[in-house]
This record gives sequence, C-alpha cells and structure tokens, in this order.
Amino acid sequence: MTTTPRPEAQRPAIGHLSRRALLKGTVATASGGALMNWGSLFNSASAAEGVQKQQKRCILLWMNGGVSQFETFDMKPGRPTGGQFRPVSTNLPGIQVCELLPKISQNMDKLAVIRSMRTSQVDHPGGIHLMHTGYSTAANIRFPEIGAVVSKYLGRERSDLPNFIKIFSHGNSGAGFLGPKYLPFSLSPEGRLPTFSTSNRNSELESRRNGLRNFVEDVFAREHKAETARMHREAYEAARRLQNVHQVFNIDDEWEKNRDLYGDSAFGRRCLLARRLIEEGVPFVEVGQSSYDSHADNFVWHRSLLPPMEHAWVGLMTDLEQRGLLKNTLIVWMGEIGRTPRINNRSGRDHYVRSWSTALAGCGVKGGLVYGASDKDGIDVKDNAVTEGDFFATIYQALGIDPKTEHFTGVRPIPIAPFGSEVVKDILA
Amino acid sequence: MPDLKPTNAKQVWKLQFEGAWPTSVAFLGPRRVVAGNRDGEMFVWDLPDQSSVKPAEDKAASKTKSAAKGKQDEGENIAPVRRLDGHTNGISRLVSTEDGKLLVSASQDHTVRIWESAAPPSGKADVVLDRASREKETKQLPQDKRQAFIDAPGVSVATQDAAAVLKGHDDWVNALGISRNGQRLISGDARSKVVVWDLPARKEVANWVGHAWNGIVAAGLAPDGQTALVSEFTYKRDDFDIPAPALKVWNVADATEKLDILKVHIPKLDAKASTYGAASVWRSFIKGGLIATDYSPDGTLVAVGQGGETDTGKVHLFDVKTGKLVRTVSGHQYGVCDVKFSVDGKYVLSSGRDTVLRICQVSDGKEVAALGKARGGQFKDWLSGIAISPDQSMIAAADIAGYVHVWQLQG
Repeated sequence: MTTTPRPEAQRPAIGHLSRRALLKGTVATASGGALMNWGSLFNSASAAEGVQKQQKRCILLWMNGGVSQFETFDMKPGRPTGGQFRPVSTNLPGIQVCELLPKISQNMDKLAVIRSMRTSQVDHPGGIHLMHTGYSTAANIRFPEIGAVVSKYLGRERSDLPNFIKIFSHGNSGAGFLGPKYLPFSLSPEGRLPTFSTSNRNSELESRRNGLRNFVEDVFAREHKAETARMHREAYEAARRLQNVHQVFNIDDEWEKNRDLYGDSAFGRRCLLARRLIEEGVPFVEVGQSSYDSHADNFVWHRSLLPPMEHAWVGLMTDLEQRGLLKNTLIVWMGEIGRTPRINNRSGRDHYVRSWSTALAGCGVKGGLVYGASDKDGIDVKDNAVTEGDFFATIYQALGIDPKTEHFTGVRPIPIAPFGSEVVKDILA
Repeated sequence: MPDLKPTNAKQVWKLQFEGAWPTSVAFLGPRRVVAGNRDGEMFVWDLPDQSSVKPAEDKAASKTKSAAKGKQDEGENIAPVRRLDGHTNGISRLVSTEDGKLLVSASQDHTVRIWESAAPPSGKADVVLDRASREKETKQLPQDKRQAFIDAPGVSVATQDAAAVLKGHDDWVNALGISRNGQRLISGDARSKVVVWDLPARKEVANWVGHAWNGIVAAGLAPDGQTALVSEFTYKRDDFDIPAPALKVWNVADATEKLDILKVHIPKLDAKASTYGAASVWRSFIKGGLIATDYSPDGTLVAVGQGGETDTGKVHLFDVKTGKLVRTVSGHQYGVCDVKFSVDGKYVLSSGRDTVLRICQVSDGKEVAALGKARGGQFKDWLSGIAISPDQSMIAAADIAGYVHVWQLQG
C-alpha cells in the first residue's frame, strides 16, 4: 500500500504559539510553578492517569551513527546512487527492500515504513538530540527524551523497575525539564546492571544502613525545605526497590531457548532483555546498536551490521506477537540521520537528512504500509515529507499521549511534540 | 624470463574506464588487459607496441579532450576491443591462467564466471567509457551543444559471453584465487563459504564453511593447488560485538584445517569472544581485515595485506609451513587493496587506498619503487587491484577514479 501526497499548503506553520498556551503558562507561573518547575504538572497529571490505563509500551531500536536508507528500505537499483546491494521482494506486493533484510522482507506486513523523513540536524550530537526529543537543542531549554515523556505518562509510580531503561545508551538529553524523576536508567552494552545497583552487604546490614540514612535525611528535610532532598531520597528508594527485581535482568536461561529466534548477537540479547522488561511493565526501553556512521566502507559495514539487527528485530516482533504484547507495544526503528545518495571515494556515504527512512510497528500502527517517497535518486522527498515533529507526534499519538500536551518552563509552554507538528494519520489504524 | 626492473617503471597506458569504479584487473598473456568494475562491467584492451601507438583522438577511443590529450607521463588512452557480458553486480576479483587462455571473474552477483580468451564474439556494442569526463567538459560548451556532446557515440566493441558460470555461492563472492598450474580455483563468499573448483572440468571438488559470523575476504591456492590460504573477517556488528578474524591454511583434498596462522601469533585469539576487549587482542595485527593474499611462486611464502580504512596498511609475509611471520613490508596510508608476488618471486607488489602501487623486495623488505601519486582530498582514491603480465614486463592497476594504469618495467 502506498499513499497519496499531502499538500504542503494544508500544513500549519511550525513555531506557532497559541494564545491559549500562553495563558496557561501565565497561570502556571502565578501558582508558583516557575520556581522548581520540572515542566509543570499543570495539565499533565490528569492526562497521565488516563493514558496509563491503556498499558501501552514502547521499544526504541536505535541505530546509532545513522543507518543508510539506500541499504535498507529505500533502494535505488540501477541509479548512480544505488550502491552494491540488490533489492528483494517482500510479502507486500510491489514493495522491495534491501537483500540484507531477508527476514524483514517477510514481515513487512507488520511495519509502517516512512521513506520521506526530512529532518533538520545533520550532525551526530544535534541529530541524536533531535531524534530523541523531537526538538533541536536550545540554549535555555532542556528538552526531555521521548523515554522520559513516556515514563511520565505511561510509567508506574511505585514500580520496582525503572520506567525508562536504556540498553547500550546513546544520547544524553535525559529527562530535561521533566526533572530527575524521569531520567533514564542505563544498562551496559551487555545488558548488565550498573555496579551501584547491587549491594555487597547482607540484607540486615543494608536495612540498618537504610534506616540510618532515612533518619538523617528526615532531619535534613525538616530543617531545609529543599526539593533536592526529596529527589535524593527518591533516587535511593528506587535503587533499593531495584534489589527486588535483579533477576529480571538476568536473561541467561531464557537466552538459550531464544537464541535462534533473536539471532546470536549482542543486539539480539539486548532485544530479548527489552521484551522481558516490557513484559514486566516497563513502559519505555531503548535498545542501541552502534557503528552505522559509515563514511568509509559503507557497504561492508552494513553487510556486518544489518543481518544481526534484522534478525533480532524480527525475533522481537515475533516474540511480542506470540505473547500478545505487540498490539500494545510500539516498536520505533530509527537512527539520528540518513546517509548521502553520493558514494564518496572511501566507498562510504556521509550524513544526510533531506530524505531518509524510519519504521514503526505494533501498537495501532498500520502494518504493510510504505508512507511517502523519495525521488528517483533519493536526493529529496518526492511525496509526503515527514519532519521530526510529525514523527514524534505520530509516535505519541500511537502511544495514547496527546502530542499537544504542554509543559511549562517558566512562562513558556512546550508541547511534547513541537508546535505545528502533525500526526501522520495514514500510518495509524 | 627477464628480471623485473621496478626502478625502470614508466607509465605507458592510462585506459579510461569511467562509470562505477574499477575494482580488479588481470593480464591475459603479455599484451591483453582485462578490468572489471562495481557495476559488473568488464572490458578487454589489447595493448599495442608503444611505438605503434597513435594519439587516442585519432583512434576514436574517446571524445573528451582530457582523454585524447593523454599526458605523456601518465600514458595514453586506447579503446577497448571487447566487452565481457554476464555479471549483474560488482566484480570483486579477476584471475587468469599463466598461458593467458582463461580468465576467471568473481562477482557480487553470487557467481564465478570463466571466460575463454580465444572465444568468438557474440555481437557488437557501442560503449561510452568517458561519460563523466564529457559531462565535465560540457561546461565549456554552448548550452545548446552540451547534450549532443554527452550523447555522442562512443566506441564500437565486440561482446563476449562467459564460457561457464560456476554456481556454488549464495552471497557476494569476495575472494578468488588460482593455482599456478592452472588446475584449481578457489572462491569464497560473504557467508563464509569456500569452494575449490577443478578449473578444466569446471566442477566443484571441495567446500567448507568458516565461522558463521565472518565472511571470506581473501583466498589463495598453493602453486600445486593442494593447499589453500583463507582469510575470514567481518566488520563489527557493533562496538561491543566484534567477531574474531581467522587466517588458516587448509588441505584441499579433505577440506581440513592444516594450520591456524593467527593462532601462531595471537594465541589468545578466541573466535567466540566478540567483545571490544577481545578485539583489542588482534586489532593491531589485522587492522581492517587481511583482505588480499597471494602465494609466492615457489609456494613457501604467503603475502597478506591489511585492508579497511586504517592508519597504515602493511603486508605480512608468512612462512606457509610454520605460520611464522617472515617480515612485514610496505605501508599504504589508509589500507591495502591488493597484493601480488612478482612472477619470479623476488618482489611483492601491493596497491592501496593512497593511490600508490608499492614494490618491495621479498629478501629484505626494502621498498624499491612507488608508482602513482596520492590523489584526492583528505582521503585518497584507491588503486583497488593490481596485475603483473606473465613476462613481468608490465604492471596494471585499477584506479577507482575510472582508469586502468599500465606501467612498462623494462627497456
């Protein structure tokens, strides 16, 4: 299935600040939210209660460095920009993908592929921030990552497990103005817990130490009305609760049974752990794979990187589907940038954001869809450009979070998807 | 056979082969050169005696001034005589028999093809090998004449089909080698499968598979075809998932491992360890993979080149029986592309990502000649493949900028 172009004239101007939003910001400031205003809870607390009931989840498969659209979902065979791989047919009539994605090719009915991403940050730091937050960096605002937003709206308040987990972390925007409560909890590339999460003392001693620390903190809190004391205590509490669920992170037994499903790779192990965490109720898990920045040897690099990635991705979708979790779990596949149509003299492709590809699956996303199109050489978007804002708005919508929900930093209202963003409705069922 | 005289090298031909970049080159006898490119195109040039050459513009080899002018110190351009049709994806390697009767090509279209030098043509075709130069030079022409200039006819060549297509691979065929007796052929693919072929019979005689996480990136056969050297490598699957490479000598007859050369030098190498820490054990010795290899004519040494984009790619010379490193020679900025022994075994030639072809003495490792000149920006154009004529009088190199350079070594 393909889609028809959306006239540019119908799209609202980006950057519009509504009068209603401005008024809200003023009220929030008058009520004292501007002091330690972690994004203001003015209108978001009740919204969070509503969406939590839906129990939706999100797994972000992060292709760090910028995976090539030409070597995945937007091939240009026979063109000077086409490269060395050949397309293969998929289980969607008339749709082809790269030969490096044989398993994905037979699961395209589960995916909505966007071939018309056009974003605004072409370097890695800017792109990583942009594609984790939906926003470009700003000097006076720290935007939250998507994981922090999802954690806020879909997270469980007193869960033993963190609500925002990164396995092989990329990006460091964190919770931004939402505050430290929504910061990501990062695991190592092997999926191991950080050393601070495990106590080497016996439980009795640990309990006594905890009691003493609580006493000291209570005294401190009575004498100092500081927000930091509360945050400090919450962080400790979260670490203590994590002790109860250590076993969730140990996938060794389950790995032996699922090795073939996910593929024998580090990324496969991370994806299995992600499924396990989702199953345990964690609302947002980011799984990273590094090294797509193929300025040199683009083709042999993708030859090595994509097979384990696609094996794990299909394994993850299959596993979630078999467990009845895919319908409520959104899988987002993306990197921070695409790669140039031109192949340089290092056999590489450089950074490119005028036209590139991402993909979504599960959680109300229409499978079997290819949205938008690039031109014959992949130089520019031909139909239905999707900006970073549109992409994030669509993700939030799929997760049941209104992308127009606003937070405030001072008097400034910040919607969770940028002003002017549009949900790509064609992608959602 | 006359001695190879590298210090006398003089570039005599600069054959234009624009389009997708040339990847490999081979001699078919002393005066016939074949080159293949990334689109799977292959052309044949017959090199006349230098004294009989007329400027290329008189031979209609090219419509462009730059090609026709042919700077004297870079050699002249002549038109190809034949196009070899059949491959549908990039040519990775070309090899030929010493008598010049057979050419073999390995391709990313998953096939190996055999071509007979004396085969009759299958037809004719008009080909344009200087389109990029034409497009560049149209800027100097009036607007209304530009398209006509670009679309002007090229040269007429005979076409030829392969004598045989060998199908034993399900992925890119990256590696190709031939025994000096012309009886055996070895090919290796991106899924780590190795096939040894009986060349006259055009039949598979053995196959085996290396580590599943690797691909075969280089393969060579001993002069008698009884043993094979195979190099396995893959780029990382991410920063913390980096499979170990392998460089092994195999018995062809029963497809058994005879010697693990990397284990001789890196005993700690563990094929199943794939962490960043494990990679640091072998990284300095392997760099971006040992991606080119050749047996010495007497079969006692093998040369392997460090490829990938690395600081300096060198060539290791190993004793085949013991696996011991005899010496490390040469040094190409950003990595080696191809390695060959001279026909007499006294020199090892390597080409690299620095647009240079280097010639080193096997006896002491001394570099005696560096042909070509670094070209490009921060990163240089590659000389992706090299070939030596059977009589050692010529060396050819495939240049990704769209040329095949030929140097004369004697007289």
